[in-house]
Amino acid sequence: MSQNTKYALLACDVFKEELTTFGGETPPWHRIEYLEMGLHDQPDNLRSEVQAAIARLEVDPAIETVLLAYGLCGNGLLGVHAIRCPLILPRAHDCISILLGGTAPHNEILKENPGTYFYSPGWVRGKRVPGPDREAHIREVYSARYPDDDEMVDDLVEADAETFAHHSCAAYVDLTQNADAETYCKDCAKHLGWQFRRLQGDATMLQDLLNRNWDDTRYLTVPPGHSIALNNQSELVSEPS
Amino acid sequence: MNESLNQLTTAIKAGKRKDARAATAAALEAGLPPQSVLDALTEGMNDVGVRFKANTIFVPEVLVAARAMQKSMDLLEPVLIASGIEPEFSIVIGTVEGDLHDIGKNLVMMMLKGANFKVIDLGVNVSAEAFANAVAEHKPDLVALSALLTTTMPAMESIVCDLSRIEPPIKIIVGGAPITPDFADQIGADGYSADAASAVELAQKLCANAQ
Repeated sequence: MSQNTKYALLACDVFKEELTTFGGETPPWHRIEYLEMGLHDQPDNLRSEVQAAIARLEVDPAIETVLLAYGLCGNGLLGVHAIRCPLILPRAHDCISILLGGTAPHNEILKENPGTYFYSPGWVRGKRVPGPDREAHIREVYSARYPDDDEMVDDLVEADAETFAHHSCAAYVDLTQNADAETYCKDCAKHLGWQFRRLQGDATMLQDLLNRNWDDTRYLTVPPGHSIALNNQSELVSEPS
Repeated sequence: MNESLNQLTTAIKAGKRKDARAATAAALEAGLPPQSVLDALTEGMNDVGVRFKANTIFVPEVLVAARAMQKSMDLLEPVLIASGIEPEFSIVIGTVEGDLHDIGKNLVMMMLKGANFKVIDLGVNVSAEAFANAVAEHKPDLVALSALLTTTMPAMESIVCDLSRIEPPIKIIVGGAPITPDFADQIGADGYSADAASAVELAQKLCANAQ
């Protein structure tokens, strides 16, 4: 594939801030499509949404390659394939690995403190991160579902908070100098009684994806008719569909 | 089915812990067989598992249902033991080192209790050494490992590898969102299940085969 390869970028909406910044006024992609963030909660759903989006993009004859701004994402990308175009994606666990520049720093941070919960500008915008807005959202959703049962609503809000009970650190990763999102993360940490940590992101993995620096050690190329898979060493590989 | 058992199943499905406790007390006071109370609980929790898988309910609803089941179990367990219904099999369970996500593990645990397993819960972020120590201490029929993150799948592999050296051999089952049957095979686990209800069936099958 040449440096002029025309590509479509299929990205998780969580990357909108970074991609808007890096893309600038003359973005390197021919087309871009975002899918909503959080689809990894149901990996089968993520897989079918990504698959359907690839099919939509492949219809455009100008597109030669489809880039995926996704990692493994709870194994939701396994089995994904294209019919006509090669697929290229970073070798990463998820968006956090990508924002940190690879799986190695991601693994290192989690090894240091498995109770780390990652925040980024996209996740902050989505208000899905643990914190006061999430609690208010959960209360609103369940108040609508159980309008006459305050006790049940309280129980459900408490149960949602319980899902983060073992976490202890709000770690903010930013490649775009978004002071508002950083402050928001600090406020969430304070609200939850967690430590706040600012992590130094590394833009290389995302920028090299956009700039066609697709070396095999950091990016997987999936030929048409092949699918994304994991080998025995849990490494991303392509295999015949 | 008896009215209080119906009420118990309904209370579990709805995650109403006070109602679950009251219905359990009523059923036991009425002299209903404790096994029938356990069955009513399991029926409720099975329904919760099915709706969770179908995305019609979400994690908080599963958690309140599990709490309601625990309230019922608190009353039921002493009666089960007093009536001679003791757990036939035991299982050591935990999330693997580096993984703090325990919702799936807790759901499996409740379902196993409902199927009358003795469950030794090691909690979250459990090392291979801690699993091995628990196996030596409790001599369970099975060990169950859970992982939610792809980052902790290597830890699951190394724990299975360490536990496979234990004598006498211990059977290991694995599960969690990123785990696949292929991965379970590849790391040498004895079984994999995709959800809590099938984890119970798998555990029952492996324990029965070992007898």
